[in-house]
Amino acid sequence: MDFSTLEAILRPDQILSGAAASRGYDCDAYTVDRSKPSVIVLPETTLEVAAVVRWCAASQVPFTSRGAGTGLSGGAMPALGGVVISTKRMNHILEIDLENRCMLAQTGIANRRLTDAVKADGFHFAPDPSSQSVSTLGGNIGENAGGPHTLKYGVTVQHILGVTMVDPLGEILTIGGKLGCGPGYDFLGLICGSEGTLGVVTEAWVKLTPLPKAVTTALVAFPTIRSATETVAGIIATGTIPAALEMMDRGIMNAVALAFKLTFPSEAQALLLVECDGDDADVVAKEMESVRTVCESNGCLEIRIASDEKERANLWMVRKKGIGAMGRIAPSIVTHDGVIPRSKLPEMLDFVYEVAEAHKIGVANIFHAGDGNLHPCFYFDDRDPLQVERVIEAGEIIIKKCIELGGSVSGEHGIGVEKMDLMPLMFSPADLEAQAMCKRIFNDGMLCNPCKVLPNQRGCAEHKMRWRGVAT
Amino acid sequence: MHDLDELLTHCIRCGFCLEDCPTFVETGNELESPRGRIYLVRSALEGKLNWQDDVKPHMDLCLGCRACETACPSAVEYGAIFEMARDIIEREKPSMSKRALLASTTNPGILKAQLAASKFLPGGRVPNFVSKLLSGSKAEADLPTVQANKPLPTFETEVSVRGEVFMLTGCAMQVLYPRVHECTRRLLRRIGYVIRDVPQGCCGALHAHNGDLTTARKLGTELVRAFTGDIPIIVNSAGCGSTMKEYADLIGPECADVAGRTFDLSEFLLSHGLVDELAKAPGLGGVTVTYHDACHLSHGQKVTSPPRELIQAIPNSTFVELPESMMCCGSAGVYNVLQPEMARRLLDRKVGHIKETDAEIVATGNPGCHAWIAQGCREQRSARVMHTAELLEAAFVGLDGFVM
Ligand SMILES: Cc1cc2nc3c(=O)[nH]c(=O)nc-3n(C[C@H](O)[C@H](O)[C@H](O)COP(=O)(O)OP(=O)(O)OC[C@H]3O[C@@H](n4cnc5c(N)ncnc54)[C@H](O)[C@@H]3O)c2cc1C
Repeated sequence: MDFSTLEAILRPDQILSGAAASRGYDCDAYTVDRSKPSVIVLPETTLEVAAVVRWCAASQVPFTSRGAGTGLSGGAMPALGGVVISTKRMNHILEIDLENRCMLAQTGIANRRLTDAVKADGFHFAPDPSSQSVSTLGGNIGENAGGPHTLKYGVTVQHILGVTMVDPLGEILTIGGKLGCGPGYDFLGLICGSEGTLGVVTEAWVKLTPLPKAVTTALVAFPTIRSATETVAGIIATGTIPAALEMMDRGIMNAVALAFKLTFPSEAQALLLVECDGDDADVVAKEMESVRTVCESNGCLEIRIASDEKERANLWMVRKKGIGAMGRIAPSIVTHDGVIPRSKLPEMLDFVYEVAEAHKIGVANIFHAGDGNLHPCFYFDDRDPLQVERVIEAGEIIIKKCIELGGSVSGEHGIGVEKMDLMPLMFSPADLEAQAMCKRIFNDGMLCNPCKVLPNQRGCAEHKMRWRGVAT
Repeated sequence: MHDLDELLTHCIRCGFCLEDCPTFVETGNELESPRGRIYLVRSALEGKLNWQDDVKPHMDLCLGCRACETACPSAVEYGAIFEMARDIIEREKPSMSKRALLASTTNPGILKAQLAASKFLPGGRVPNFVSKLLSGSKAEADLPTVQANKPLPTFETEVSVRGEVFMLTGCAMQVLYPRVHECTRRLLRRIGYVIRDVPQGCCGALHAHNGDLTTARKLGTELVRAFTGDIPIIVNSAGCGSTMKEYADLIGPECADVAGRTFDLSEFLLSHGLVDELAKAPGLGGVTVTYHDACHLSHGQKVTSPPRELIQAIPNSTFVELPESMMCCGSAGVYNVLQPEMARRLLDRKVGHIKETDAEIVATGNPGCHAWIAQGCREQRSARVMHTAELLEAAFVGLDGFVM
């Protein structure tokens, strides 16, 4: 393939190729599967993206969008090689409209920078994946990312009003806008969470949410996993919806104790991070009181309420960087993502520990307990192919169990290449065909992020041999 | 000492470093990010990539600012990885011109002679043919010039002497910024400490950062020998302090005690009562001050609060935070000579932020940043740059003695 004609579209500094570049872009934060692109492009505008996509379409070269590459299911891995379209030079805020509480930004901007731009005016962009300091708006849309505050504020799709997108043929589409989607079918809902398989989103109107006037955050230590999980169910049962309700087990506690010098009672086996917020300080205080009562009735060891903003920010840093801190314990991790009904949390966690033990791999859990969104984080050494195999197998067993318990194969990290083959566990052939039909509305070919999300795509099975488990 | 392979395994590719890496933020290129560079080094070590063609260009563009270490939840020791990778690259294929640059910058005698000669160079810049040889591009950095100053008023204090310290006089620092040493001496005396002067050489920091670990170890070993006993060692140059605090890793266990008794000047002044002395000082007549975090102080030594606390304790002055104060200014040792284009982009970014603050003075704790930011501010008619030590001393004696 002759890639040199791309030089007619972009400046030389916007085109990367060669051994180092192919290597550097062969995976995201899911490192089990890897596949090299031939070329990486760094467009700066929607028009440049459209020109690149038209080039790909004309040359029949596959392309894959990539934001920060923090995805945990291989969504940004170029499964069939070709071109990686990085949005990292499209990181500008184009318009801020405080009166209408919205903002237009290019999709390569890091999530955190959206909030930074409006914080002083009392607003924020509510979706807060733990990766928000780096993960991009486009990646958040791609995966329909959630975060600790999803419990109260919802996932990304609820905060996107409109997008500008380049479809797989290179046409520029506008869906929704400053005022959201009009009547008719909700294409925006379809785009959010489509994992880059429907086109490249280049700009988005996002909703700005007022910062709550009162916030209180508590870190609660429990003597057993069960007492913590039962507390989660208990809090929800009272009717209080905390802004966030996060759980960490001993594995993560060890990592964050090392990383952030966080202290907790030595006999603690689990921590809950609970946050209540709202505009009425009295109501918020009452909510926290009722949380306290539930925690105490479940035998918690300690409740520490952040006394000021600095302490609160620190507790959140510990939570958000918890997975990132796992490198202190082992060379590689695979963070799983499954959903179960909250009532099944105690049973499910026991199962996770059993599976990890049977597969001789370490596991730590840090997750959005309030939504029943589990993130078992396996830690291992990916230089050992046998361990990699065991990790993949254990993951599949856990996801199967989630479905058995009435849950889902993924809460927020997407399907990517990681869980494609698990989709039939959850969906019937007819379900999957309905999804494929939706996809065909925008993408009727094999060029736009191929071999992702839907199983059994033409031409992917043989390629899979090439990338699966190529962790070295 | 470190094992490169082991160091690399701590990166789990979460990417939390990306937005704190100046070269990634400027280029958007994964290969110019810490995560990307670590992956390249690991691949080269595994024999999958070539050190010179694949890895070197990206290690060359790295500032070594270590902002990624501050961001990294897994405590990946990027600074050590960076130095070891550069060492491998240099040993495979030494760059003679880079060696010469390092040798001259860190040898006070040669540096002085060069400064004398530089008066005859057009525009006071590194000649373009020299820059091309080193970096392949046009020069951006002005040649260093010796700080011009009027004498300071005679020194007075009622505080009695309570101890002795060593002060690292360093290589470039003593030639380019003698006034900073003078202020350091005065400030220490204000809290009751006198400097024990001993013959000493270069600390080896610039060599370590640029992939010459052998020379760095040799210089470090000699320096530690000069600072005998358990007397505190005061350093007013962030890059040197950072390397000295890590001598145990660089050189070996015989240097284990050095980290515990090496202090950045600001740390020592704060913990030994300068705030009380400042309270009695006349202050700065209402100026607005901001502070740039030198990378090797904030990221290398995790010292961010002491300089701010001291500056905020200066009477009659207003302190404003500098946006992106912890992002590298592009000076980075000899980086602005070796990578003039990227250095210039980062300098413009830094001066842009300084202008936003409307501050009249920018304080910082490292000679490289000092000279480079001062050049940018001069070009764009922005604030004046002072070493933190100078600013603090000025609180006692006034700004008059400190000429722009
Ligand atoms: C430590 C850690 C913690 C995390 N915590 C959370 C969490 O709390 N909640 C959560 O939901 N996720 C979390 N994630 C996963 C990940 O950060 C999110 O999925 C994030 O949204 C990915 O953003 P990105 O910019 O890195 O996208 P990438 O990984 O680059 O891409 C993700 C997907 O989106 C597509 N895509 C990217 N940009 C575009 C675009 N402009 N147009 C169309 N498609 C595009 C890609 O093709 C790919 O399929 C975490 C990851 C890590 C490493």
